[in-house]
Amino acid sequence: MTKKIVLVLAMLSCLALAGTARAQAPAPDPAAAAPAAPAAAAVAITDADLKAAVKPTDRANGDPDGSLTGTANDIAISDAKAGLTVADVLNQIGANRIGVNFAWTLLCGFLIMFMQAGFAVVEAGLCRAKNANHTMMMNFMVYGVGMLAYFLIGFPLQMGGAGAIANLGGTPVLNSEFVIHLFGKDIGLFGNTGYLLMHHGTYDVAVMVIFLFQMVFMDTTTTIVTGTCCERWKYSAFMVSTMFLGAFTYPIFANWAWGGGWLAMLGANFGLGHGYADFAGSGVVHSVGGITALACALILGPRIGKYTRDGKPNPIPGHDIMWVLCGCFILAFGWFGFNPGSTLAMSGNGGLRAASVAVNTMLAGMTGSFGGILYMWIRYGKPDASMSGNAFLAGLVAITAPSGFVNPVASAIIGLIAGVLVCLSCEFVERVLKVDDPVGAISVHGTNGIWGVLATGLFADGRSNYGGSWNGVAGNVTGLFYGDAGQFVAQLMGVATLVGFVFVMSYVINLFIDWFVGQRVSAKSELAGLDVPEMGAVAYPDFVLKPEPALAS
Amino acid sequence: MTFVGLAVTFLGFVIAFISLGVTDSTAVRMGMVLAGIAVSLFGIMGLITPAYQKTWIWKR
Repeated sequence: MTKKIVLVLAMLSCLALAGTARAQAPAPDPAAAAPAAPAAAAVAITDADLKAAVKPTDRANGDPDGSLTGTANDIAISDAKAGLTVADVLNQIGANRIGVNFAWTLLCGFLIMFMQAGFAVVEAGLCRAKNANHTMMMNFMVYGVGMLAYFLIGFPLQMGGAGAIANLGGTPVLNSEFVIHLFGKDIGLFGNTGYLLMHHGTYDVAVMVIFLFQMVFMDTTTTIVTGTCCERWKYSAFMVSTMFLGAFTYPIFANWAWGGGWLAMLGANFGLGHGYADFAGSGVVHSVGGITALACALILGPRIGKYTRDGKPNPIPGHDIMWVLCGCFILAFGWFGFNPGSTLAMSGNGGLRAASVAVNTMLAGMTGSFGGILYMWIRYGKPDASMSGNAFLAGLVAITAPSGFVNPVASAIIGLIAGVLVCLSCEFVERVLKVDDPVGAISVHGTNGIWGVLATGLFADGRSNYGGSWNGVAGNVTGLFYGDAGQFVAQLMGVATLVGFVFVMSYVINLFIDWFVGQRVSAKSELAGLDVPEMGAVAYPDFVLKPEPALAS
Repeated sequence: MTFVGLAVTFLGFVIAFISLGVTDSTAVRMGMVLAGIAVSLFGIMGLITPAYQKTWIWKR
């Protein structure tokens, strides 16, 4: 009896000690646990586990309702002798998650690429028929020229120091950011790896995905400028200017905002909210394009006949309003890649928020067009078609930065304000600044891009969660109206950088191009239309074009 | 005048950027950044734009 009591006490003591030891053990580090999946011990899954699984023979008669397709039989087995193991299942789960995110991001990138067609027909429709070929060819070549510059130089500058992107399985090779030490902090200026997508191990599937997605963003920026400068821009100057925009201007600002540069780190380094937050690029893509367009338009000057000698503007209507509005729909379609795709995920880390982003995008486009139509109807008595299209796009531009951080009501408000703002801005640019912008790109993309950046700092509701942090700051992005003044200051800093740095950089680059190449075509070519002098063929050979009054007389 | 305008525009950015180093106060930083934006806009609209209008192709 005594022996039994001693034995029971000994067992209880052992259990107590074991429990104590477990309680004192450090909690497992989730970060360390995450990559352990491939190295997990191979635990065999028994026949009982697979008993309910579908057998390949079950599909002998086909699978009309799909219930037999996609089963345990489709999981890749690493060791045929061991059979299906828990490690195999875990690896398959990880591969599926990243596969879903790859597919989502790539498809959204393809949608964005199609926006080039939208920009092309909007801009061509808003120019005169005698310049249609030239305008289309600028939009056509902006894709190739911009991509080449981005491939050679731009991508490494922008994303070379971006670090690991967890939603794409990690991109640890993009780890080299050039920094200077200022104000006691590291100030990231540009990335420095990923040249030719081969340098420093960047021949990597995740890097390819992020390259494709970022490349089409950059191309959107470059195509904004062609609209403002159409009908008088020398084709050779356009190509050189686009090359510099794709290689330097865009990537530098994009690095600061998205590549781990100093704007993104304003929160972590200086306590300003979560740093500059620009979900899909109101500032990075649209404002950079719009501000560069302003710089180029100042250097080029207005089209002949746009202003009288005393500075009063003359209307120069485009030649095909059908193409303009059709192009707006193409752009709106592509915007569903632009904004929702910027989650870079459908699985994990807030990827499902893409649904909210998509709805916000729809709403802002709708209210934007309403705002523009109502403004034009009240002010001029008619719902002007081209301004309606521009207001539609303005709503989309303005929601691009906040789309991932705001609620649907805020999206509708942001779009409505954008729709009115673009009308006011177009009038200001044309009548006060006396800058000739045939398509209104400065107002649509520049002004409303800035509005989108500011709107993020005002309306972000702190309910978006992308893996628990943003730009290395824990918690959710929260705007001024929801209590974080620091976030609004970070957004203002982005605006100051756009108007104070990006404008100057764009202006200086294009001034040099003007000196060396010459930006503007001759007056004779401009009056004749650029299709023949610049491109060698007209867009509509079977049409009789109305001659310019100056040539007819 | 164009180059003066460019310098003033860039000065606006510098004012905003320096706010990061001279103070930790969010309110002061906001004031400095807003001032920087205003200076930059003056450089573009008040200096560069009037200068470029003199070079319109039919005014040469």
